[in-house]
Amino acid sequence: MKSAQIRLTAASLLLSASFGASAAHAAGVVAGTQIANTATATYDSGAASVSIQSNTVTVRVDELLNVAVSSLSANPTAAGAGTTVLTYQITNTGNGSEAFDLAALTTVSGNGFDPSLQSVAYDTNGNGTYDPGTDVILATGAPTPALAPDTSLTVFVLTTLPSGATDGQTGQVRLTATAKTGSGSPGTVFAGQGAGGGDAVVGASTALDSALATEIARLAAVNLTKSATILDPFGTQQPVPGAVITYSLLATVSGAGTATNLNVADVIPTGTTYQPGTLTLDGATLSDAADADSGQASSAGVAVGLGTLAGGTSKTVAFKVKIN
Amino acid sequence: MTKLSLAFFLSLAAIAALPAAAHAAPGGVALHGDVKVETTTIVNGVEKTVLAVPKIVIPGNRLLFSTAYRNEGAAPVQNFVVTNPVPAGIAVAALDAASLIVSVDGGKSWGKLAGMTVRDAKNVPHPAQATDVTHVRWTVASIAPGAGGSVAYHAVVR
Repeated sequence: MKSAQIRLTAASLLLSASFGASAAHAAGVVAGTQIANTATATYDSGAASVSIQSNTVTVRVDELLNVAVSSLSANPTAAGAGTTVLTYQITNTGNGSEAFDLAALTTVSGNGFDPSLQSVAYDTNGNGTYDPGTDVILATGAPTPALAPDTSLTVFVLTTLPSGATDGQTGQVRLTATAKTGSGSPGTVFAGQGAGGGDAVVGASTALDSALATEIARLAAVNLTKSATILDPFGTQQPVPGAVITYSLLATVSGAGTATNLNVADVIPTGTTYQPGTLTLDGATLSDAADADSGQASSAGVAVGLGTLAGGTSKTVAFKVKIN
Repeated sequence: MTKLSLAFFLSLAAIAALPAAAHAAPGGVALHGDVKVETTTIVNGVEKTVLAVPKIVIPGNRLLFSTAYRNEGAAPVQNFVVTNPVPAGIAVAALDAASLIVSVDGGKSWGKLAGMTVRDAKNVPHPAQATDVTHVRWTVASIAPGAGGSVAYHAVVR
């Protein structure tokens, strides 16, 4: 009998210790928690020592609806060809499990362009980077999964540049998260809709928050200039049979972006013959064969792969032909 | 402030007879616990405190836990001690924690909060805070037959 009592006490101590640990939340006691208060009293009555207990009064903690949104994107984020990923963080700063409705507004005034919205996705593997095929794209109007109190979700807004955007222009996307249960002025009550069985009450955040992320167009323009010099057999510059024409193709990349997979090709003009071994890139000879180096040439034409060129750089491809 | 609220509860207990459901040893002292939500608003520059039956309770709310007692026996009782373990999820309000007799070690030792220490997870001692209080206690030397009163503490929902 006595040992049974001791075991009971030990079990209740453990229980209260674990409750204490779970209550330590920045957002407050978890919604649905029952706070139960009981007082005991002891006193002496004549020779007897008496111990009594009060009734237990219990209050249930209701759900406080709060949310915080911030941008984790580089400011500004470079937007080139293809998809631009803007990254945001949604934090459930309330005390109950809550899902959030998301809205991405691309028409933010005061910008050069309005990004074209592709989709909104959330991070499923926690690496903070958008992984196509792994991270989940939210259907239009679908809320986030429910977030536990004090936890965050990384959200990606995928955009592309609209066709009219020019290099250096900026565009913005405002991502708004709203508690699924509801939002409004602080103190607004959604009776019976709180996590844990109680009511839901809008907190100081109004249960709605948003953040802006800015992207800047980083576009590259490629300009190709062709020039020719002639050297005839007599040492002058007359285009007569036997004269050698040196063609120069100057590829210049301008703008803040980069030109990727840039290839320069030219055909050998009719009435002329390519002079083998004369293909050069920035003065360095390239073999005519289609091999490891970036160029190839034949009697039909020349082709040189320039790869990726950053804005502000240029490359010169040159070759010689002889007038028949 | 403390004196005021104590007077308030004594008068409250004097007016309101204890409900029949109060816990009591036959012929002994009855205890009755209650909880109210306390809100303070400023009306025309004057603070006004309102106690209400808890309908909505959210983190940060102030609660008032009270325990009314009454000697329903024919004989006086002595050394009347009310002990109230502080439930998880709330912290004793700073003013009450500083003025009441409290424990920060689960009821093993008692005294004023000032001067008490608690040890953190790394066993480093720190001065105890109101949030460390685990129990509060009141002592009434004696209660005459038919007499009663009330004790209370304020708490903040964590």
